[in-house]
Amino acid sequence: MHPILADPRRLLWYELAWLAAGVGIAALLRLSGQAEWSGALEFALPICLVWSFVAVSSYYVCRSLPWSQRRWPVALGLFGGVSMLAALGWLGLGEAWDSLGGLLLRGRPFVALSSAGWMMYFAAGFALYLLSLLAHDVLVAFESVQAAARREAESRVLARDAELQMLRTQINPHFLFNSLNSISALTGFDPAAAREMTVDLAQFFRRTLALAERERITLGEEVALCGHFLAIEKRRFGAKLQADLRVSAEAAACLLPPMTLQPLLENAIKHGIRQVDGGGTIAVDALVRDGALHIAVVNPVSADDAPANAHGVGLKNIRERLAVLYGPRAHIAWQRSPAQFTIEIHLPVDKESGA
Amino acid sequence: MTSSQRLRALIVDDEDLARRLVREYLQGHDDIEIVGECDNGLDAVKQIGALSPDLVFLDIQMPRLTGLEVLELTGRRAGVIFTTAYDEHAIKAFELHAVDYLLKPFSKARFDDALARARTLHAPAAPAAGAGLDALVARRTAPLERILIRDREQVHVVAIDQVECIEAQGDYLAIHAEGKCHLKPQRISEIEEQLDATRFLRVHRSFIISLAHLQAIERPGPDRHAARLRSGKRVPISRSGYEKLRTLV
Repeated sequence: MHPILADPRRLLWYELAWLAAGVGIAALLRLSGQAEWSGALEFALPICLVWSFVAVSSYYVCRSLPWSQRRWPVALGLFGGVSMLAALGWLGLGEAWDSLGGLLLRGRPFVALSSAGWMMYFAAGFALYLLSLLAHDVLVAFESVQAAARREAESRVLARDAELQMLRTQINPHFLFNSLNSISALTGFDPAAAREMTVDLAQFFRRTLALAERERITLGEEVALCGHFLAIEKRRFGAKLQADLRVSAEAAACLLPPMTLQPLLENAIKHGIRQVDGGGTIAVDALVRDGALHIAVVNPVSADDAPANAHGVGLKNIRERLAVLYGPRAHIAWQRSPAQFTIEIHLPVDKESGA
Repeated sequence: MTSSQRLRALIVDDEDLARRLVREYLQGHDDIEIVGECDNGLDAVKQIGALSPDLVFLDIQMPRLTGLEVLELTGRRAGVIFTTAYDEHAIKAFELHAVDYLLKPFSKARFDDALARARTLHAPAAPAAGAGLDALVARRTAPLERILIRDREQVHVVAIDQVECIEAQGDYLAIHAEGKCHLKPQRISEIEEQLDATRFLRVHRSFIISLAHLQAIERPGPDRHAARLRSGKRVPISRSGYEKLRTLV
């Protein structure tokens, strides 16, 4: 929406400015001896009022040439050309109003300008439109600065949320205490397994802490982290939990934000595998295709379980986090069929320099 | 010790290792006999009904039904030892109602303590236990998200969004959802307390309606009002119900 038309107060000031311009034009005509005061005012004021609504179009002209992509010769040419066209329209409007309007309301033209007078009037129209373009340009620049500041503030908030979310994942108390309970159980009858699980748990937390400090890690590093996570969960859930990770060598070298895949696996277990009587397999596929990194996670779900709105919160967090980091270049989508949940992520390929 | 004094125990946990640990801790206690194990809440409801164990080790976070929902459905109010790894809400509620619980991982000493307490409560001379559990089940902290209905061996789970209205019929509630009607033995005032007050409204002595399912308020006569629901069903509205509805809608 146009910033002036959308705001009544701005519109009022805008119209007042145009009326002032009308008075200015009338004064010009009067002082140059082209017309009497009354005729000049009756001629200029209505035209300026009507023209004010034509001049708002300059907003869109300014928007078509954003500051960041502006080349000055093009901008000058466009502004000059558009102002020239507008001035022609302005001239036509002036002549029509003078003869027709004057004839209807007064029986004779308001002002009968000489050709020099019309030239002056034409030049005023050119100048006014150019002025309107410049004023709108300032307005557009001001708006975009404001919008940028707002966007930056928003993304800062989202980034902080994502960070908090990640911290929470790092120390998921449920996961930690249940794992410790499993270790406690294992010590009684399988000390070797208990020891292995302890090491996996330690490795998982150590890697999480190390990776979380970095902005980007390779998918290979994330997969290694997930390996420890899955080893722990397999101890807890036994044969119920199977995992099948297929990560191409090219995909493994791609960079992505830490803890992108791990929360997906955690979700797949919590809302999928755990709820299905016989358990099932989590399938992870990662490959590079058409210049994008594709990651898909598929897991079975219980058909009679309530629709996956429990999934919702966690997935929305991941979506927001990716949106903050990648903007429109990242895609995440999920869908649920009666027995299966699929989530797909597409990220731009980003590799370590030299890798 | 005679067999009649032995306590019959059921272990409910969806993790095999967790059940195994309870089993191991119970080994030294000759007066306890393990009569069954369940790895989900639904199975637990069935087994509690079929075996009527003296003691249930009950995990809170389980697939299908939570530990608290198992209690609600079975009406069991004594001889329960909760086990949980981490559940802030549940633990607060346990503390509030002095219900015994074990935090995973727990030591053998802590386990033996809980068992000793359970034994004294089970003794014939013990004071009536169960008030705490009763309150725990009835006064949940979060609003109801689904309604559980036990129909003989089956358990129906009705999501709260699907419920269009609830009608009191004698000692039962008729829960109308998706064209079906489920009967549940409960008082209307009790379920009213558990429901989210921004989504459900008691419009009549015997009726609670879902505001999401409300389509129109009709006026069949002077000073008489009725709610028409999306399904076409009509529900009477009392005078005070109408006042409440007017402030909400």
